[in-house]
Amino acid sequence: MEQRLGQERPGDGPGLWVLLCYRVPREPSAPRIAIWRKLKRLGVAQLGDGLVGLPADARTREQLEWVAEDVTEAGGSAGVWLARPATLAQERELAVAMAAARTAEYAAVTAQAATAREAGAATRAAALRRLRSELRRITRRDYFPPAGREQAHAAVEALAGPPAPRRDAVPARRDAVAGGGAGEHS
Amino acid sequence: MRWATRAGVHIDRAACAWLIRRFIDPHAEFTFVTDPAAIPAGATAFDIRGADLSHHGPDCSFETILRRYELTDPVLWRIAQVVHEADLDDQQYDAPEAPGFDVALRGLSMVCADERVLELTGPLFDGLYEYCKRATLLGREPA
Repeated sequence: MEQRLGQERPGDGPGLWVLLCYRVPREPSAPRIAIWRKLKRLGVAQLGDGLVGLPADARTREQLEWVAEDVTEAGGSAGVWLARPATLAQERELAVAMAAARTAEYAAVTAQAATAREAGAATRAAALRRLRSELRRITRRDYFPPAGREQAHAAVEALAGPPAPRRDAVPARRDAVAGGGAGEHS
Repeated sequence: MRWATRAGVHIDRAACAWLIRRFIDPHAEFTFVTDPAAIPAGATAFDIRGADLSHHGPDCSFETILRRYELTDPVLWRIAQVVHEADLDDQQYDAPEAPGFDVALRGLSMVCADERVLELTGPLFDGLYEYCKRATLLGREPA
Protein backbone atom coordinates (compact mmCIF):
# COMPACT_ATOMS: atom_id res chain seq x y z
CA MET A 1 0.00 0.00 0.00
CA GLU A 2 3.02 2.27 0.27
CA GLN A 3 4.52 1.37 -3.13
CA ARG A 4 3.19 4.28 -5.16
CA LEU A 5 4.75 6.75 -2.78
CA GLY A 6 8.15 5.08 -2.81
CA GLN A 7 9.72 7.16 -5.59
CA GLU A 8 8.89 10.50 -4.05
CA ARG A 9 9.64 9.56 -0.49
CA PRO A 10 12.79 10.91 1.16
CA GLY A 11 13.95 8.26 3.62
CA ASP A 12 10.95 7.05 5.55
CA GLY A 13 9.09 10.36 5.70
CA PRO A 14 5.74 11.16 4.10
CA GLY A 15 5.55 11.22 0.28
CA LEU A 16 4.87 14.09 -2.09
CA TRP A 17 1.26 14.93 -2.89
CA VAL A 18 -0.26 17.12 -5.55
CA LEU A 19 -3.05 19.29 -4.18
CA LEU A 20 -5.76 21.25 -5.93
CA CYS A 21 -7.37 24.08 -4.02
CA TYR A 22 -10.35 25.45 -5.87
CA ARG A 23 -13.51 27.46 -5.63
CA VAL A 24 -16.27 27.17 -8.23
CA PRO A 25 -19.31 29.47 -8.35
CA ARG A 26 -22.49 27.67 -7.21
CA GLU A 27 -24.32 28.76 -10.34
CA PRO A 28 -24.42 27.70 -13.12
CA SER A 29 -24.37 24.20 -11.70
CA ALA A 30 -23.43 22.28 -14.90
CA PRO A 31 -19.68 23.12 -14.90
CA ARG A 32 -19.53 22.67 -11.12
CA ILE A 33 -21.01 19.15 -11.47
CA ALA A 34 -18.68 18.32 -14.40
CA ILE A 35 -15.68 19.29 -12.24
CA TRP A 36 -17.00 17.24 -9.33
CA ARG A 37 -17.41 14.21 -11.65
CA LYS A 38 -13.85 14.55 -12.95
CA LEU A 39 -12.46 14.68 -9.42
CA LYS A 40 -14.53 11.67 -8.45
CA ARG A 41 -13.23 9.75 -11.46
CA LEU A 42 -9.66 10.59 -10.41
CA GLY A 43 -10.33 9.20 -6.93
CA VAL A 44 -9.01 12.25 -5.09
CA ALA A 45 -8.67 12.45 -1.31
CA GLN A 46 -10.87 15.18 0.12
CA LEU A 47 -8.61 17.20 2.42
CA GLY A 48 -11.06 19.95 3.17
CA ASP A 49 -13.64 22.23 1.65
CA GLY A 50 -12.36 22.94 -1.88
CA LEU A 51 -9.11 21.10 -1.26
CA VAL A 52 -8.35 17.71 -2.79
CA GLY A 53 -5.17 15.72 -3.30
CA LEU A 54 -3.50 12.73 -4.95
CA PRO A 55 -0.10 11.10 -4.47
CA ALA A 56 2.14 13.10 -6.82
CA ASP A 57 3.43 11.73 -10.10
CA ALA A 58 3.59 13.16 -13.62
CA ARG A 59 0.14 11.84 -14.43
CA THR A 60 -1.75 12.94 -11.31
CA ARG A 61 -0.17 16.35 -11.56
CA GLU A 62 -1.29 16.74 -15.16
CA GLN A 63 -4.79 15.55 -14.31
CA LEU A 64 -5.24 18.08 -11.51
CA GLU A 65 -3.82 20.82 -13.73
CA TRP A 66 -6.54 20.14 -16.28
CA VAL A 67 -9.20 20.30 -13.59
CA ALA A 68 -7.69 23.60 -12.42
CA GLU A 69 -8.15 24.90 -15.98
CA ASP A 70 -11.78 23.78 -15.95
CA VAL A 71 -12.31 25.63 -12.68
CA THR A 72 -10.81 28.81 -14.13
CA GLU A 73 -12.94 28.49 -17.26
CA ALA A 74 -16.02 28.06 -15.06
CA GLY A 75 -15.27 31.45 -13.50
CA GLY A 76 -13.72 30.06 -10.34
CA SER A 77 -10.22 30.16 -8.95
CA ALA A 78 -7.80 27.28 -8.60
CA GLY A 79 -4.22 26.53 -7.62
CA VAL A 80 -2.13 23.37 -7.93
CA TRP A 81 0.40 22.72 -5.18
CA LEU A 82 3.01 20.12 -4.38
CA ALA A 83 3.08 19.33 -0.69
CA ARG A 84 4.14 16.78 1.88
CA PRO A 85 2.04 15.77 4.88
CA ALA A 86 3.87 16.85 8.01
CA THR A 87 3.55 13.44 9.64
CA LEU A 88 3.30 9.85 8.49
CA ALA A 89 0.13 9.50 10.55
CA GLN A 90 -1.54 12.24 8.55
CA GLU A 91 -0.55 10.59 5.29
CA ARG A 92 -1.76 7.24 6.53
CA GLU A 93 -5.12 8.79 7.39
CA LEU A 94 -5.48 9.95 3.78
CA ALA A 95 -4.42 6.56 2.44
CA VAL A 96 -6.93 4.77 4.68
CA ALA A 97 -9.78 7.04 3.55
CA MET A 98 -8.88 6.55 -0.13
CA ALA A 99 -8.56 2.78 0.30
CA ALA A 100 -11.97 2.70 2.01
CA ALA A 101 -13.56 4.51 -0.92
CA ARG A 102 -12.06 1.97 -3.35
CA THR A 103 -13.13 -0.93 -1.11
CA ALA A 104 -16.74 0.19 -1.50
CA GLU A 105 -16.35 0.37 -5.28
CA TYR A 106 -14.75 -3.09 -5.48
CA ALA A 107 -17.49 -4.51 -3.25
CA ALA A 108 -20.15 -3.13 -5.60
CA VAL A 109 -18.43 -4.83 -8.57
CA THR A 110 -18.14 -8.12 -6.66
CA ALA A 111 -21.87 -7.99 -5.85
CA GLN A 112 -22.82 -7.25 -9.46
CA ALA A 113 -20.61 -10.08 -10.71
CA ALA A 114 -22.22 -12.50 -8.26
CA THR A 115 -25.69 -11.53 -9.49
CA ALA A 116 -24.69 -11.81 -13.16
CA ARG A 117 -23.22 -15.25 -12.57
CA GLU A 118 -26.74 -16.65 -12.07
CA ALA A 119 -27.99 -15.15 -15.35
CA GLY A 120 -28.08 -16.50 -18.90
CA ALA A 121 -25.03 -16.66 -21.18
CA ALA A 122 -25.75 -13.39 -23.03
CA THR A 123 -26.29 -11.39 -19.82
CA ARG A 124 -23.15 -12.93 -18.31
CA ALA A 125 -21.05 -12.02 -21.34
CA ALA A 126 -22.35 -8.44 -21.32
CA ALA A 127 -21.73 -8.13 -17.57
CA LEU A 128 -18.20 -9.50 -18.03
CA ARG A 129 -17.32 -6.82 -20.57
CA ARG A 130 -18.89 -4.03 -18.54
CA LEU A 131 -17.40 -5.07 -15.20
CA ARG A 132 -13.92 -5.63 -16.66
CA SER A 133 -13.78 -2.02 -17.86
CA GLU A 134 -15.33 -0.81 -14.62
CA LEU A 135 -12.55 -2.63 -12.75
CA ARG A 136 -9.92 -1.10 -15.02
CA ARG A 137 -11.24 2.36 -14.17
CA ILE A 138 -11.37 1.68 -10.42
CA THR A 139 -7.84 0.24 -10.49
CA ARG A 140 -6.60 3.39 -12.19
CA ARG A 141 -7.64 5.48 -9.23
CA ASP A 142 -6.62 2.86 -6.69
CA TYR A 143 -3.47 4.31 -5.12
CA PHE A 144 -3.59 2.18 -1.98
CA PRO A 145 -5.02 -1.20 -3.07
CA PRO A 146 -7.37 -2.62 -0.43
CA ALA A 147 -8.08 -6.30 0.17
CA GLY A 148 -11.32 -6.33 -1.84
CA ARG A 149 -9.46 -5.77 -5.10
CA GLU A 150 -8.39 -9.40 -5.67
CA GLN A 151 -11.84 -10.63 -4.77
CA ALA A 152 -13.51 -8.30 -7.27
CA HIS A 153 -11.14 -9.39 -10.06
CA ALA A 154 -11.79 -13.05 -9.25
CA ALA A 155 -15.57 -12.52 -9.18
CA VAL A 156 -15.53 -10.77 -12.56
CA GLU A 157 -13.21 -13.29 -14.22
CA ALA A 158 -15.44 -16.11 -12.94
CA LEU A 159 -18.05 -14.78 -15.38
CA ALA A 160 -15.78 -15.98 -18.20
CA GLY A 161 -16.02 -19.54 -16.88
CA PRO A 162 -18.97 -21.92 -16.83
CA PRO A 163 -22.21 -20.62 -15.27
CA ALA A 164 -22.80 -21.06 -11.57
CA PRO A 165 -24.63 -24.35 -10.99
CA ARG A 166 -28.32 -23.77 -10.28
CA ARG A 167 -29.35 -25.22 -6.99
CA ASP A 168 -32.49 -26.78 -8.51
CA ALA A 169 -30.85 -28.10 -11.69
CA VAL A 170 -29.67 -31.63 -12.38
CA PRO A 171 -25.85 -31.44 -12.78
CA ALA A 172 -25.03 -31.40 -16.50
CA ARG A 173 -22.40 -33.68 -17.97
CA ARG A 174 -19.08 -31.89 -18.08
CA ASP A 175 -18.42 -32.46 -21.82
CA ALA A 176 -21.88 -31.20 -22.78
CA VAL A 177 -21.31 -27.93 -20.89
CA ALA A 178 -17.85 -27.44 -22.43
CA GLY A 179 -19.22 -28.09 -25.95
CA GLY A 180 -21.98 -25.49 -25.57
CA GLY A 181 -19.61 -22.92 -24.14
CA ALA A 182 -17.06 -23.20 -26.95
CA GLY A 183 -19.73 -22.73 -29.61
CA GLU A 184 -20.98 -19.51 -28.06
CA HIS A 185 -17.60 -17.84 -28.00
CA SER A 186 -16.47 -18.57 -31.55
CA MET B 1 6.90 27.23 -37.17
CA ARG B 2 7.77 26.40 -33.59
CA TRP B 3 5.44 24.52 -31.33
CA ALA B 4 5.86 23.85 -27.64
CA THR B 5 4.31 21.30 -25.32
CA ARG B 6 4.80 19.71 -21.93
CA ALA B 7 7.68 17.24 -21.62
CA GLY B 8 6.90 13.57 -20.93
CA VAL B 9 4.87 12.97 -24.08
CA HIS B 10 1.85 10.69 -23.81
CA ILE B 11 -1.00 9.82 -26.18
CA ASP B 12 -2.61 13.26 -26.48
CA ARG B 13 0.65 15.15 -27.13
CA ALA B 14 2.02 12.47 -29.49
CA ALA B 15 -1.24 12.51 -31.48
CA CYS B 16 -1.33 16.33 -31.52
CA ALA B 17 2.26 16.51 -32.82
CA TRP B 18 1.38 14.03 -35.59
CA LEU B 19 -1.77 16.00 -36.43
CA ILE B 20 0.13 19.30 -36.56
CA ARG B 21 2.84 17.87 -38.82
CA ARG B 22 0.49 16.09 -41.21
CA PHE B 23 -2.39 18.54 -41.46
CA ILE B 24 -1.34 21.98 -40.21
CA ASP B 25 2.40 22.64 -40.46
CA PRO B 26 4.67 20.18 -42.36
CA HIS B 27 7.76 22.04 -41.11
CA ALA B 28 6.71 21.99 -37.46
CA GLU B 29 9.50 21.95 -34.88
CA PHE B 30 8.66 20.81 -31.39
CA THR B 31 10.07 21.99 -28.07
CA PHE B 32 9.34 20.21 -24.80
CA VAL B 33 9.15 22.19 -21.57
CA THR B 34 8.42 21.29 -17.97
CA ASP B 35 7.06 24.71 -16.97
CA PRO B 36 4.68 26.86 -19.08
CA ALA B 37 6.98 29.82 -18.30
CA ALA B 38 9.74 28.15 -20.36
CA ILE B 39 7.74 28.21 -23.62
CA PRO B 40 9.97 30.00 -26.17
CA ALA B 41 8.71 33.33 -27.53
CA GLY B 42 6.83 32.90 -30.79
CA ALA B 43 6.12 29.21 -30.24
CA THR B 44 2.54 27.95 -30.33
CA ALA B 45 1.85 26.00 -27.17
CA PHE B 46 -0.42 22.97 -27.00
CA ASP B 47 -1.51 20.48 -24.33
CA ILE B 48 -0.06 22.54 -21.52
CA ARG B 49 -1.77 24.54 -18.84
CA GLY B 50 -2.63 28.06 -19.96
CA ALA B 51 -2.46 27.30 -23.71
CA ASP B 52 -5.58 27.66 -25.84
CA LEU B 53 -4.79 24.42 -27.71
CA SER B 54 -5.39 22.29 -24.61
CA HIS B 55 -8.16 20.49 -22.80
CA HIS B 56 -11.42 22.44 -22.89
CA GLY B 57 -14.52 21.18 -21.11
CA PRO B 58 -14.94 17.58 -22.22
CA ASP B 59 -12.39 17.85 -25.06
CA CYS B 60 -8.79 16.67 -24.99
CA SER B 61 -6.16 18.75 -26.80
CA PHE B 62 -6.39 16.70 -30.02
CA GLU B 63 -10.10 17.54 -30.26
CA THR B 64 -9.44 21.20 -29.45
CA ILE B 65 -6.91 21.43 -32.31
CA LEU B 66 -9.38 19.81 -34.72
CA ARG B 67 -11.96 22.45 -33.73
CA ARG B 68 -9.62 25.46 -33.80
CA TYR B 69 -8.21 24.57 -37.23
CA GLU B 70 -11.64 23.52 -38.51
CA LEU B 71 -10.48 20.06 -39.52
CA THR B 72 -13.68 18.19 -40.31
CA ASP B 73 -12.22 15.00 -41.82
CA PRO B 74 -14.36 12.22 -40.25
CA VAL B 75 -11.31 9.93 -40.12
CA LEU B 76 -9.52 12.45 -37.88
CA TRP B 77 -12.59 12.64 -35.66
CA ARG B 78 -12.57 8.86 -35.37
CA ILE B 79 -8.90 9.02 -34.30
CA ALA B 80 -9.94 11.77 -31.87
CA GLN B 81 -12.26 9.28 -30.16
CA VAL B 82 -9.38 6.84 -29.67
CA VAL B 83 -7.09 9.59 -28.35
CA HIS B 84 -9.82 10.94 -26.06
CA GLU B 85 -10.54 7.55 -24.49
CA ALA B 86 -6.84 6.66 -24.20
CA ASP B 87 -6.18 9.98 -22.49
CA LEU B 88 -9.31 10.46 -20.38
CA ASP B 89 -11.07 7.09 -20.29
CA ASP B 90 -14.39 8.75 -19.49
CA GLN B 91 -16.53 6.50 -21.72
CA GLN B 92 -17.70 9.32 -23.95
CA TYR B 93 -16.90 7.20 -26.99
CA ASP B 94 -16.74 3.54 -27.92
CA ALA B 95 -13.04 3.13 -28.70
CA PRO B 96 -11.85 -0.38 -27.85
CA GLU B 97 -8.40 0.47 -29.30
CA ALA B 98 -7.83 3.10 -26.60
CA PRO B 99 -6.45 0.99 -23.72
CA GLY B 100 -3.89 -0.55 -26.12
CA PHE B 101 -2.71 2.85 -27.35
CA ASP B 102 -2.56 4.11 -23.78
CA VAL B 103 -0.26 1.28 -22.67
CA ALA B 104 1.88 1.48 -25.82
CA LEU B 105 2.46 5.21 -25.40
CA ARG B 106 3.08 5.01 -21.67
CA GLY B 107 5.59 2.23 -22.20
CA LEU B 108 7.37 4.12 -24.99
CA SER B 109 7.70 7.22 -22.84
CA MET B 110 9.47 5.07 -20.23
CA VAL B 111 12.23 4.00 -22.61
CA CYS B 112 12.47 6.87 -25.13
CA ALA B 113 13.08 10.61 -25.12
CA ASP B 114 10.19 12.81 -26.29
CA GLU B 115 11.70 13.44 -29.75
CA ARG B 116 12.07 9.69 -30.26
CA VAL B 117 8.49 9.04 -29.14
CA LEU B 118 7.30 11.41 -31.87
CA GLU B 119 9.52 9.67 -34.46
CA LEU B 120 8.14 6.27 -33.54
CA THR B 121 4.50 7.24 -33.21
CA GLY B 122 4.37 9.14 -36.51
CA PRO B 123 4.08 5.94 -38.61
CA LEU B 124 1.75 4.47 -35.97
CA PHE B 125 -0.75 7.32 -36.40
CA ASP B 126 -0.26 7.23 -40.19
CA GLY B 127 -1.28 3.58 -40.01
CA LEU B 128 -4.22 4.31 -37.71
CA TYR B 129 -5.37 7.00 -40.14
CA GLU B 130 -5.21 4.59 -43.10
CA TYR B 131 -6.98 1.87 -41.14
CA CYS B 132 -9.77 4.19 -40.02
CA LYS B 133 -10.11 5.57 -43.53
CA ARG B 134 -10.52 2.12 -45.05
CA ALA B 135 -12.90 1.12 -42.26
CA THR B 136 -15.00 4.22 -42.94
CA LEU B 137 -15.13 3.48 -46.69
CA LEU B 138 -15.88 -0.22 -46.24
CA GLY B 139 -18.27 0.17 -43.34
CA ARG B 140 -16.48 -2.71 -41.59
CA GLU B 141 -13.00 -3.69 -40.40
CA PRO B 142 -10.53 -3.68 -43.30
CA ALA B 143 -8.37 -6.75 -43.96
